[in-house]
Amino acid sequence: MIAYLLTIFVLIMIAPLLLSYIKAFEMVLLFKRPISIFQGYRNFSKLMKKETMISKETSQITRVAPFLVLSPLLVTMFFLPPVVQGAYYVSFVDAFTITGLLSLSTFFLMLLGLDSASSFGGMGSSREAFISALVEPAMVLTVFSVSMMAGDLGVAQAGVNLAQDFPKEHMASFLFAGISFFILLIAENGRIPVDNPSTHLELTMIHEAMILDISGVYLAIIESASSIKFIIFASLFASLFMPFGLEYSTAIAILIFIFKLLLISTAVGVMEVSTAKLRLFKVPNLLGIAIVFAFLSLITFYVLGA
Amino acid sequence: MFQFDTLSVVFVVLIVLGAIPNIFYSFGYLPHIKRKVHYQIHYFSFILSMLGVVISGNALVFLFFWELMSLTSWQLILTEVEGESTISAGRFYFLMTHFGFIFLLLFFLIVTNGDLDISFEQMRGVASTFAYPTLLFFFLVLGFLSKAGAVPLHVWLPYAHPEAPSPVSAIMSGVMLKVAIYGMFRFLFDVLYPWPLEWGIVVLIIGSISSVVGVLYALSEHDIKALLANHSIENIGIILIGFGMGMIFDTLDLKVLSTFAFIASLFHVFNHMSFKSLLFMGAGSVLHETHTKNMEKYGGLIKAMPITALTFLIAAISISALPPSNGFLSEWMIFQSMLGSSNIADTSLKLAIPFAIFSLAITGGLAIACFVKAYGITFLGLHRSTNAKHAKEVNPLMRYGMIMMSLVVISLMLFAPYYIYWFDKTLVSLNHISAYDKIFPDGVLSMHSVAVHGGIVSPVILLVALVGVTLLLMFAYKSLNVKERVCHTWACGYKTSAKTQYTSVGFAGPIRRFFIWLYRPDEHFEKQTIAGHESKFDNASYEVHVKPLFEESLYAGSKKLANFLSYWIYRLTHFEQTRYAAMIFNLMLFILFSYRIFSDNFSWATLVLESVVMIISVKVLIIGDKK
Repeated sequence: MIAYLLTIFVLIMIAPLLLSYIKAFEMVLLFKRPISIFQGYRNFSKLMKKETMISKETSQITRVAPFLVLSPLLVTMFFLPPVVQGAYYVSFVDAFTITGLLSLSTFFLMLLGLDSASSFGGMGSSREAFISALVEPAMVLTVFSVSMMAGDLGVAQAGVNLAQDFPKEHMASFLFAGISFFILLIAENGRIPVDNPSTHLELTMIHEAMILDISGVYLAIIESASSIKFIIFASLFASLFMPFGLEYSTAIAILIFIFKLLLISTAVGVMEVSTAKLRLFKVPNLLGIAIVFAFLSLITFYVLGA
Repeated sequence: MFQFDTLSVVFVVLIVLGAIPNIFYSFGYLPHIKRKVHYQIHYFSFILSMLGVVISGNALVFLFFWELMSLTSWQLILTEVEGESTISAGRFYFLMTHFGFIFLLLFFLIVTNGDLDISFEQMRGVASTFAYPTLLFFFLVLGFLSKAGAVPLHVWLPYAHPEAPSPVSAIMSGVMLKVAIYGMFRFLFDVLYPWPLEWGIVVLIIGSISSVVGVLYALSEHDIKALLANHSIENIGIILIGFGMGMIFDTLDLKVLSTFAFIASLFHVFNHMSFKSLLFMGAGSVLHETHTKNMEKYGGLIKAMPITALTFLIAAISISALPPSNGFLSEWMIFQSMLGSSNIADTSLKLAIPFAIFSLAITGGLAIACFVKAYGITFLGLHRSTNAKHAKEVNPLMRYGMIMMSLVVISLMLFAPYYIYWFDKTLVSLNHISAYDKIFPDGVLSMHSVAVHGGIVSPVILLVALVGVTLLLMFAYKSLNVKERVCHTWACGYKTSAKTQYTSVGFAGPIRRFFIWLYRPDEHFEKQTIAGHESKFDNASYEVHVKPLFEESLYAGSKKLANFLSYWIYRLTHFEQTRYAAMIFNLMLFILFSYRIFSDNFSWATLVLESVVMIISVKVLIIGDKK
């Protein structure tokens, strides 16, 4: 139980670090002087000190939605696979519930975008609705396929099963599911081929457009929500597709897990500097690839048993 | 004459739960209606006739109440005739509902041997001796699903629901469509059991297509009631996915999974009743205040109509299947039952089911997009018309109706185990084995999937966790004592006004563009450019209309074909009487041959021989030589 709570605490704590790390890593690759990897915490503490600006055009939704964006993600944190062997975990929560909780968060984020009556907010919501509608089926199919291989529909239990007894005979379908999930990780967190988190140009904005009118503590909440969302996806990827290193003692196992998260962040960073952002109407092609790989993974599993 | 078994009682409860809040709402809505007596007579006989359908014990009573239900709802659509569109919607509904009625009548004439008084158990004996049970199955599908609004018999819904007064659309969409599902349950279980595997697959395919088609056309709508009507098609699709999975599992002898899938389907029947009625009531309140069904004329209504906005939000979360709402629970059950497909040995079926999972998942994603659009454009932002500016909260009776219905929604979430207990009883009374103990093995708090290594969900714990964390965060925010400043929305230098907001057409733009091969939208774009500069204009208008593909191809196509045939026959009767006489001769030949083939004795040799004779005779006598 202590390891369980400790893991969740550590993961929430390092969430801003990962995003800053990606950014710093990219700047190094681009021969720029990198920002500090603690920039995320600095931004957070600065935003917490600021006053909140609330627009006249908004309604109660703006005052409630930031909390409702964050809370489903925080609840999801409790349902992730364990990072230490023998630690407590909530075994039974399945892919559909986790996808549902993430969608609940996105739902309120999209309402937030529409609430301020700004055309940017509407644009962001509209694009986010478009992308997340296509992400959902791929996500459900991918996690379903992994759960099939692990022999349990509960995501956390699947993670544990994979760590204990890795199904080497299903390597092919496992690989397909991994590719599909990595694309989803990029799409859901608004990383580069899908969305560019660092610009404020209306042609490219998705996530940033929705929160353009949010400031102060509310912005701090939304920013933490997006970093926690990244950590949810990264730890799902780490637990389901890199299931090793759980058997050590608590501290070392958590360190290994953090190392895996950094590895995933590095992969995302490399992806970001080496590709250009896709046009909005090309994004479905990428997500289509994710869906096709998810189907391929299921079909290889069923037909070839590989 | 009447019977009260568990299935009937469950559906009586459904109708009562749907009707009581609706009656309150309806009385609040009454000052809005001119033909009050006409409306009330038909409204109450409509509710009573639905009750009559679900408790009737023989075919005659069933058909009587079924027809009464169709006719009263048809008159209710025509309560307020505001031009040609209402009349044509009424006519369309009348035609479609009687199209289905013909098949029901055929079904009953066959399974009762012409004696409409016999009970359902006796029908089963007759049906089991009938040589073509699949024919009976298709009669049922055509008869009931044309009422329920499954693809491709769904075309009347987006016309009929918007034209009816809002309480009537709420009860038609929420309850009447479910009475058709009752018919599926009643006659498939009582009369046509056991089912071949193919029937379940047919229902599953119809369900999957309906769910995707319904939600896609809902996204392209900007008439709020037509949007909700399209969502009814989607939800009927989801119900049918559960139903089809239940039939497939039953045939494959996975009895517990079958019960689980049927419970999921029944649960979704109840959930859809609750949230769709609530959504239609909310839409009706908005319509009542703004006098328009066009979503582009709403905006900012949350400030003037907080209760409507709150109840609409609850229903929107529930219909989008977001946890921990009741809509989520039933879709979760349907998902889990499909994940139980790993127990199936047949590989082709196993491969087919992920496609159904895919369609259910993409339906969920698109439904979220659609309800963000419906809620955001209607209730958030700035008001887009003067009517929306002067909107007030609706009168108390209508408010009570909406609040009561949202209580029904919430009760379906909190007391799900209790409802599921009754659904389980229903399935047991229909000769399925009980799954309740497997769904709730350790107490009512957590709901288990009956699939091997299935998931578990606990609505109450999820709700408590979500509300708890949210309240904790809000408390933390309060205790921070953050200073707040109120100012205008900053739009990068532009003035924020109602006209610069995103419209509902714009919101659905990316999705419309992606599915352009399906929508084939009819776009009109006009702008007045300044001094010939393409990029500078002071006035522009963009309109887009989506005509449903099914309507265009299937309905307009068959209309064209019927026109063509009738004109051809008209020409024959008036100008070429010899060929006309030859046609009558051929028709008689055809009837005699088909009687011989299907009723007397069947053999492939005579079938081939007789078809050759038919073809030659048609060629020589009717078509003749080319001129």
